[in-house]
Amino acid sequence: MKPFLTAALLATASVALVPAANAADKTLTISVYSFAQDAYKKALYDPFEEMCGCDLVVETGNSVERMAKIEANAAKPVIDMAVISSHDALALARKDLIADLDASKLSNMSKLYPSAQDPLGNGQAVGYTFYASSIVYRKDLVSIDSWADLLTNPKLANNVALPNITGTQGPLTLMMLNKANDQGGDFSKTISDIGKASDKIVTFYSRSSELAQLMNQEEVIAAPVGRFAWSRFKSSPLPFEWANPKEGQAGGMNVMIMTKGNGNEDLAYQFMDYWLSTEVQTRIAEALIDSPANMEVKVSDEVAENLTYGADLINSLNILPPSEIIDNRGKWVEQWNAEVIK
Amino acid sequence: MFLDQRQGLALAMPAALFALLMFLVPVAMLLSEAFRSDGGWSLAAYFEFFSKPLNQTVFLRTLKLGVMVAGTAAVIGYAAAFCIVNLDAKARGQIFGLVVLPLMISPVARTYAWIVILGRTGIVNDALVGLGLTETPLRLLFTETAVFLGLLQLFLPLMIISLVSSMENIPRDVIPAARVLGANWLQVFVKVILPLTKEGLVIGGTLVFTGSLTAYITPAILGGSKVLMLETLLYQRVNVSNDFVSASVIAMILIVMSFSTNLLLKRIATARRS
Repeated sequence: MKPFLTAALLATASVALVPAANAADKTLTISVYSFAQDAYKKALYDPFEEMCGCDLVVETGNSVERMAKIEANAAKPVIDMAVISSHDALALARKDLIADLDASKLSNMSKLYPSAQDPLGNGQAVGYTFYASSIVYRKDLVSIDSWADLLTNPKLANNVALPNITGTQGPLTLMMLNKANDQGGDFSKTISDIGKASDKIVTFYSRSSELAQLMNQEEVIAAPVGRFAWSRFKSSPLPFEWANPKEGQAGGMNVMIMTKGNGNEDLAYQFMDYWLSTEVQTRIAEALIDSPANMEVKVSDEVAENLTYGADLINSLNILPPSEIIDNRGKWVEQWNAEVIK
Repeated sequence: MFLDQRQGLALAMPAALFALLMFLVPVAMLLSEAFRSDGGWSLAAYFEFFSKPLNQTVFLRTLKLGVMVAGTAAVIGYAAAFCIVNLDAKARGQIFGLVVLPLMISPVARTYAWIVILGRTGIVNDALVGLGLTETPLRLLFTETAVFLGLLQLFLPLMIISLVSSMENIPRDVIPAARVLGANWLQVFVKVILPLTKEGLVIGGTLVFTGSLTAYITPAILGGSKVLMLETLLYQRVNVSNDFVSASVIAMILIVMSFSTNLLLKRIATARRS
């Protein structure tokens, strides 16, 4: 082959490869919860890819798996940003695995409820969704006025399920039982109370889907659960009700974080800001995926019924500080295993 | 047509290497975690595991349920296998097909069927309430009994298949001969059938016992967190607590229990033969 022809072919090939190389450079790897991925794709991932001209690589799994992956690749992160619970975010922060966030690069930050703007208090996370936690119950069989009813109402003996201590709802239930019984924040007394009543508790569930099945099979008539699972009960032919106990509802928050030294910070900020925008938060809320952390989001009453929505509710939630969970979880699990599971 | 030893070894090598690299090496690496402490080798993780009352309870419950399931499967399996081998060929094929059929259905589906049976609105409770034996439905799910029944149903076919295979090898005139010589049915079973089928019992017992130890879905669905077994505890340690050392200890305990059972049953079978 003549030299000039070879050079021409190489030049043509180089030109052809340039856009591909650029596209490959603009790839953001995110780590998210497994649920509702089809809905997220439609409401968030596809519109963002179209807007940024980049590719999103979506990794899912349970919290432990995803956190283990972030930790295992700390020296050379394979995840650029992640969404996790606030206490898991704090656990990663304490291992120095997540980056400080530059609030100036998140234009939608000021639109968030104040408690979502810096939930860890160290500038390393931003809340993107809230969830309330209360008691779902069969209103034709029992009435619930207080969280204490879970352990003391005779109609609930052998008819109630509680969340396992190792799940997200477990510590929230402990907090509310503790409050209902005026135990002054000492969860060890609350765990002992649950242990004494454990023979009358049907099971300690791990996932809301598991609980929905038990309640629809009439194995259980009352249980604490997150509002994000309410639609599973609301659509049931059985008369389920969402309790408004006198102690109020518990609450939690999921947050966005960025891994330290991922080298893809600009695109990660762009994605996080897009997710926090009023437009996207509204779309996600209307699809009943997540409740909005953006104060500007407006949804219909029908949609709001399925969400943790509105300033009054969000500001009234009893939120357990992430540090309290992280600092005490090992001790709680130990006591739980000894006195409750046995 | 036949291979010499070198050719045979050469052909077996890829499969052996694959098994070694893809199974034994990672499993050995995982299990070795439980023997490491402060940069050296130690049994501290095992002592710590067994020092906790919950772990002791779970270990003993797993052992107890494994033994009960294997023992009950052996009793029911002998009766079923004896009937099957004495049927004519057509009926034997049909009944044997029914025994094997559950193995073709997912353990998840087979376990969920027990929820329909044992639930508060299930068949058993409907019958108990209908017959006036109880006023309110009993709590049958999330109990050791539910796990026991689920495991028994899951693994009984393996015991029956093993016993049928070994009973088919008993000469047909041996049992009538023993009866003619004055042996009652208990003596026929203890002195004739049992010795001649102990290989099947060893295989069936090992399969049922180790299957019961390592089953995850059935204890998880029918027992939940109130009836933890080693396998469900292992899952919790990995997926909830991220505690790989404790999980490695449990995995090693399960492996040791499985191999020990097989060796014990083989030893019993050999001892009786000699």
